[in-house]
Amino acid sequence: MFPPITLEILVLCLGLLLLLVESFTNNPDKRILAKCAILGLLCLFIGSFFVEGNPALESIAPGSFWHFYSADSAALFFKRIALLTTVGVLIMSMDYQQVLAKFIPSSRPGAGLGEFFCLPLFTCTGLMFMASATDLILAFVALELVTISFYVLVAYMRGNAATLEAGVKYLILGALSTGFVVYGITWIFGLTGETNLAKVATKLALLEGSDTAILFSLLLVLVGLGFKVAAVPFQGWVPDVYQGAPTPVTAFLSIGSKSAGFLLLLRVLEPFLGVASIQAKVLCILTLIAGATLLFGNLAALTQDNFKRLLAYSSIGHAGYLLVAVASIGTKASSFGSIGSTIGFYLFGYLLMTLLSFLVLNIVSIHSRGDDIIQFNGLAKRSPFLAYALLASMSSLAGIPFTVGFYGKFLVFAQAINAHQYVLLALGIITVAAGFYFYLRVVAAMWWQDPAIVTPIPISPLTKIAIVLLVAGIFIFGVCPKPILTLLSPLAAL
Amino acid sequence: MAHTLPWLILLSPLVSALLVLLFAHRSKALSVALSLAAVFVSLGGSLLAFSKAPESLSTHFTWIDLGPAFQLNIGLKIDDLTKVMLLVVTGIGALVHIYSTVYMEKDEGKSRFFGSLSLFMFSMLGIVLADNLAMMFIFWELVGVSSYLLIGHWFTKESAAAAANKAFLTNRIGDFGFMAGILLVWSITDSLGFAEIAANISKLTNNPTLLTISGLCLFCGAVGKSAQLPLHVWLPDAMEGPTPVSALIHAATMVAAGVYMLARIFFLLEPSALALSVIAWIGATTALFAALLATQQNDIKKILAYSTLSQLGLMVAGIGVGAWGASMFHLFTHAFFKALLFLGSGAIIHALHHEQDIWKMGGLKKTMPKTFWTFAIGTLALTGAPFLAGFFSKDAILLAAYAKNPFIFGFALITSLLTAFYMTRLVVVAFFGKARSDAAKHGHDCPPAMTVPLLILAILSIIAGYPVFAEPIFGHDNFHAAHAATHNTLVPLLAISVFALGTIVAYVLYCGKSKDPIVIRPLANRLYIDEFYSALIAGTQDVLASLSGWLDRYVLDGVLVRGLSAGTWGAGYLFRLLQFGNLQGYAFLFGAGVVALLYLLIK
Repeated sequence: MFPPITLEILVLCLGLLLLLVESFTNNPDKRILAKCAILGLLCLFIGSFFVEGNPALESIAPGSFWHFYSADSAALFFKRIALLTTVGVLIMSMDYQQVLAKFIPSSRPGAGLGEFFCLPLFTCTGLMFMASATDLILAFVALELVTISFYVLVAYMRGNAATLEAGVKYLILGALSTGFVVYGITWIFGLTGETNLAKVATKLALLEGSDTAILFSLLLVLVGLGFKVAAVPFQGWVPDVYQGAPTPVTAFLSIGSKSAGFLLLLRVLEPFLGVASIQAKVLCILTLIAGATLLFGNLAALTQDNFKRLLAYSSIGHAGYLLVAVASIGTKASSFGSIGSTIGFYLFGYLLMTLLSFLVLNIVSIHSRGDDIIQFNGLAKRSPFLAYALLASMSSLAGIPFTVGFYGKFLVFAQAINAHQYVLLALGIITVAAGFYFYLRVVAAMWWQDPAIVTPIPISPLTKIAIVLLVAGIFIFGVCPKPILTLLSPLAAL
Repeated sequence: MAHTLPWLILLSPLVSALLVLLFAHRSKALSVALSLAAVFVSLGGSLLAFSKAPESLSTHFTWIDLGPAFQLNIGLKIDDLTKVMLLVVTGIGALVHIYSTVYMEKDEGKSRFFGSLSLFMFSMLGIVLADNLAMMFIFWELVGVSSYLLIGHWFTKESAAAAANKAFLTNRIGDFGFMAGILLVWSITDSLGFAEIAANISKLTNNPTLLTISGLCLFCGAVGKSAQLPLHVWLPDAMEGPTPVSALIHAATMVAAGVYMLARIFFLLEPSALALSVIAWIGATTALFAALLATQQNDIKKILAYSTLSQLGLMVAGIGVGAWGASMFHLFTHAFFKALLFLGSGAIIHALHHEQDIWKMGGLKKTMPKTFWTFAIGTLALTGAPFLAGFFSKDAILLAAYAKNPFIFGFALITSLLTAFYMTRLVVVAFFGKARSDAAKHGHDCPPAMTVPLLILAILSIIAGYPVFAEPIFGHDNFHAAHAATHNTLVPLLAISVFALGTIVAYVLYCGKSKDPIVIRPLANRLYIDEFYSALIAGTQDVLASLSGWLDRYVLDGVLVRGLSAGTWGAGYLFRLLQFGNLQGYAFLFGAGVVALLYLLIK
């Protein structure tokens, strides 16, 4: 048993160490860095089951980091999601090295590639801190650690115009959203004189007659988080950036930044929903955003021909389902726990299926001419293994029973029914139907079209193992979701 | 340890099925080895459960938990009833596995066959071990699937594919009723587990009408699976499958699942006299009807199939007259001798290069002596010859029927007479006299892997009915419950005399004949029921098809589908326009979004 903060510190040290190693070696193949990082992260993942919990409130000394850091079961769960995502991204990056090398001007082979395998570790550190943050300042710093490392990663292939464009768009819009978050935090501090969320909650409950100011501050923070989780109307950057960024980075953006964003969203919402006079308005806004996100993500995906862009819209669509759960919090503070575990489970499922889709997309696009859906034509003949893997992830994304995707949606809809959110429920069902169309279109292409290229696709052993594990996870936890729900069950103290 | 045993029994065939169907199917030898290993693990586990496990044992975990309103458990339960079924299923399963290694030797799809066989074992053991109705239903459907796969094993043959479809679809009708029954019981008692339903039974008995309806709905499931009238049509056709499959699935185990289920839920049926009498009448009618049809069939497997129908009818009738113990006893003995008869017929079919017409056999007594002697024992056991297994178990049902309802008793007695008649006809025509075809002249006994199972089953067919053997298996109380009816010498005497009468008449009529001296067209043609169903279904389909065609074209397609899809696509295009790729534009939209939200929140 060791203190939970050790996890973050070790990830950070691992990143720094690998950066040092990378600058003092001449090996042109940088994948060894990724292998070390994967090994380290997996050890930490196992270690995360052996950390101490939160200390008792009375025993916390003034000035201790426990004032802004929490290691409750939700935090640990999201830390594990961050670790696993990073492992998946690193596995993808190893396959992606050959593409990277093409677009990075370098004097000697391998120069400038190493950082691509080290930076994800810093993003991971940020995500893990974000999961534990109970203080707005720590949350903000962690958020920026994530965002800034993403700025670099998104624009990494500086020889490629599309990547550069994506990088610039992400940088500018990201900076804009950051501005809103900081401004919102300032307002909250101005209103309550506190940055600790628990203390903010007690102070907010005592404030009277300043509803407008409270709503204003909450909205500013919501805007920033809405940007992170790709909620409408702050989703504008998503399709362009997802398409332009290197594929492993896209996967990272789509899973890592979303899961941390949702946990933070729940943590920030809790003190505000404690204020009786503004509850109804906040829930109404959340419902509106959830509905718009659902419709936009799923309907705009219908007309896409590019698989990466399709996954971008799918990411918006899934943010919509998650927001349906958020909007179903209702007015009872006690429902936070069950909503939290619904969102936790959904994100876990989303991690499995999205990572799997990106892994397959990554390999197929490296060995084909780009990442349009046409490139997946006849994949069943070219590589049945990849085709079946993608079939599994598409079925799960669409929500076919006995997959994690189905159970996640099932939980979300159950929450919506409990909260009497019937409009969102109806929208959810319509968009699921639309989802079947665009997800299964890829499946149709794989089986019913003839391949343009017939060369078989080589798959590295590590990737193969990852794909098998992900497929197994999709079905095992789809049939038997109990273990994950048990991990999430003591969420009452979110 | 005790709690892992049921899981071991249940899951080992599943592991084998998955390994064989997914990975090992390229190697026939490996597939066979895996499948055999799995069935022996299950058999060993069942024997262990039988000898060691306490009286009853249950183990479960929650599968789906949606608060107190709805919880679905995955639970296994071993009690006396389960133990009997476990022994029957794994014991006969093991013998059939061994037998199939030779019978399916040259088959292209041998791996697929053994994979499906393992899948069947898993599903069947699931039905037996399930401790709640939901799980039972899931496995109920799974046996349907594996039966479909196995009947259609030679799917390139059109009749086999059609038979597989017929079996699957006919069972659907029964299963619909079964599901309705499960939902009814669940909605009234708020529980699905057998133990919980039994605890809440007062909620059901308070409402006799609903009780009867739900009991009859559940019975529908048994009507489908155990091929009772009017859903009996699939079983004779299912003989298209390989013969070991017919022995295991369509004689000994799966078709008996309906009877097992009725015994399991007997506490639900008992309070409703109406439900019980419906069950008794359907069972008795099926028994008599199928026995009549069997007298005019010429295909050796079809005769056995109708005989199975008839015996299942007797068991169902036994449940109907309240003697579920007697029915389970008959299920137990019937499993052995019917499996024996099917495997024996399989040996003949194998030796005669797939000749199934009994009129093209003859004289097999000399060329296939081992097969003949075992087949004869099976026949005697089935027809109720004194001191063989069938005599005791049939006697138990007859006694119960005699005490309860003289008409049912009459039906059962005539059925016994006919059984003795058609089985003697089969034996006399196929084994006695002169060979009537080339193939029959060159008949020969099969290799030991096929004859040894026959021998074991023959021994079991003799001894399975004796109290020394049957009592420990059933548990003392149940065995005596099966014999609970009053001591009565009239019934056994009547049973023996109809046995003698049927046998002698058939022997006299058929000995030395080379073609059927009696031809009753309607019986040979199954009373035209299959044709009537086809016409009925075709007619209904035409009407429904034109109606739904109209609905589909004008209402669904025109208004709903076109309208909806046009709307959805339109929205999709519209949304796509928002994604114009211009950074300043995105920033503007972002800002506009913030302003709009602000306006909504703080106006």
